[in-house]
Amino acid sequence: MDGATIEDGEMKLFERKQAIYKSLDEKYLVHGQRYKGQQYSQIYFARLHHLRNLLHSLVTKWKPHLEVITVLGLEESRECVIVGTIYKHMKLKPCILDEYSKERTAVPLVKPHNFLHPDDQLILEDEIGRVKLRGSLLNPTDFVTGIGLALHGMKTIEGDFLVQDLLEAGFPPQTKLPRLGEDKYVVFVSGLNVGSNIFNPLQFQLFVDHVTGHLGGDNEQKMTSQIVRVVIAGNSVIIPHSVLNGQALTPEDQRKLTEPIKEVDILLTQLAAAVPLDIMPGPTDPANSFLPQQPLHRCLFPGASSYNTFFSCTNPHQFELDGFQFLGTSGQNIDDLDKYSSAQTKLEFVERTLRWRHLAPTAPNTLGCYPFTEKDPFFIENCPNVYFVGNQDKYETVLLHGPEEQQVRLVCIPRFSESGVAVMLNLRDLNCHALNFSADLDS
Amino acid sequence: MASSDIKDFFRQKKRGVSKKPSSSSRKNSGKSSIGTICLPEPTDTPALIAHGKFDLQDFKGDGDEKLRQFDMEMRYGPCVGLSRLERWERACSMGLNSPPEIGNLLRSLSGSNPKLECLWEGRV
Repeated sequence: MDGATIEDGEMKLFERKQAIYKSLDEKYLVHGQRYKGQQYSQIYFARLHHLRNLLHSLVTKWKPHLEVITVLGLEESRECVIVGTIYKHMKLKPCILDEYSKERTAVPLVKPHNFLHPDDQLILEDEIGRVKLRGSLLNPTDFVTGIGLALHGMKTIEGDFLVQDLLEAGFPPQTKLPRLGEDKYVVFVSGLNVGSNIFNPLQFQLFVDHVTGHLGGDNEQKMTSQIVRVVIAGNSVIIPHSVLNGQALTPEDQRKLTEPIKEVDILLTQLAAAVPLDIMPGPTDPANSFLPQQPLHRCLFPGASSYNTFFSCTNPHQFELDGFQFLGTSGQNIDDLDKYSSAQTKLEFVERTLRWRHLAPTAPNTLGCYPFTEKDPFFIENCPNVYFVGNQDKYETVLLHGPEEQQVRLVCIPRFSESGVAVMLNLRDLNCHALNFSADLDS
Repeated sequence: MASSDIKDFFRQKKRGVSKKPSSSSRKNSGKSSIGTICLPEPTDTPALIAHGKFDLQDFKGDGDEKLRQFDMEMRYGPCVGLSRLERWERACSMGLNSPPEIGNLLRSLSGSNPKLECLWEGRV
């Protein structure tokens, strides 16, 4: 817990700083739910209800002279506002029925990374009906299925809705930012991918030694003693797919399956002994595949879970540290947005989810999700101070300022196994910088 | 399930007249011939009878009618997959002004009453 160094016969001891942690993962836990055979219409209803209430209150300020009507109440050439969920009809979206259809015209044999097509159309849906959206204001490449919007326009002769203006839910409200007098750092890392052939154990060991304060001189140790938490945002382990071919497992295969997680446990024990640690599951981790992913079981980490500084968290993960609100995912929501819409940078996708007030609008359409009946847990009620996304291609960050003085630091955490980069965030001023670890002995 | 009704559908003993083996006589049941076993009409789906929901006979009072209207009301969301009471409670917690008499009606019913489930329970 402390970094000690002997200098001129004097023992310099740096005490690690502490921060008050509160986990807000309650709404992402599924254990209280009972599956009764319900379908996804329930979660869409909960989402529509929430977003509609929100948008109704915003529309009165946005277009006070227009009335809000339902989709079935549309009349031709009458300006009005409609509120609903967007559905994007995509030609190239993979559909199970394509495998059975005789003609294979639009679907290429090689699945593209991105399923956009110039013919994609947007449709607005509420509980009772849907209407096609027209107009140059709405560019289908910027939207995905599942967003709640309010649209101002009028019905055309063909029965479509010509959009003149649109309103998104906007940034959620934020509680006032606390003021910290001293530097306190949170370290984010993701995509360790232990068990893959790109994992370099020396590189991660370097990271662990650095964070626990076993490296460097006084200055480095002073800095690392200010690290109050480490958050591992998914994909810590990768199960070699060659083992999962449906055959019975030989003892050697069983060893191949369990070795990566044992290795992670050894490394996490070293980390947990020194600093409070949050671990989130990712797409390749041994957790359920649909969102919200449940916490990795403690039996996977026999060594690390014996420490009370070890916290296994859900994905998405929400917590409070010294009054600062953190919200983050292991990347599935942003990666799915990348497949069905386009933007300049990944940060733009992250910003869009914040403006739409929904972490994963494409769930359950293209992103697996639990069929909740009473609530939609991905709805962002309060604006976080830090919004992080793991397992991205590169490190990117921006500090956003909302219309009501909200301040959010968006962070895209790169995959550690590929880049060797971890992210360090200073709570005092929400500044971010990258920690580069290189174990390349040649360069 | 309908296991108790199977014995009513399929006669357990062959009638003395026919000398054909029982399996082929069951196959010929659709055609009307003497000494064959009668199966129910194809239009009577087993699911209706198995769950005991005799719609036409059960239509007493407008309590049923009110519950059906509650199911159909799109304002309270989709009705399939939830019991009626759960859907009513959800509507309450969402502030949708669900009529309290439906809640009282549902709470007064016993645990296994088919009126507790929505109209399409077991049929979709």
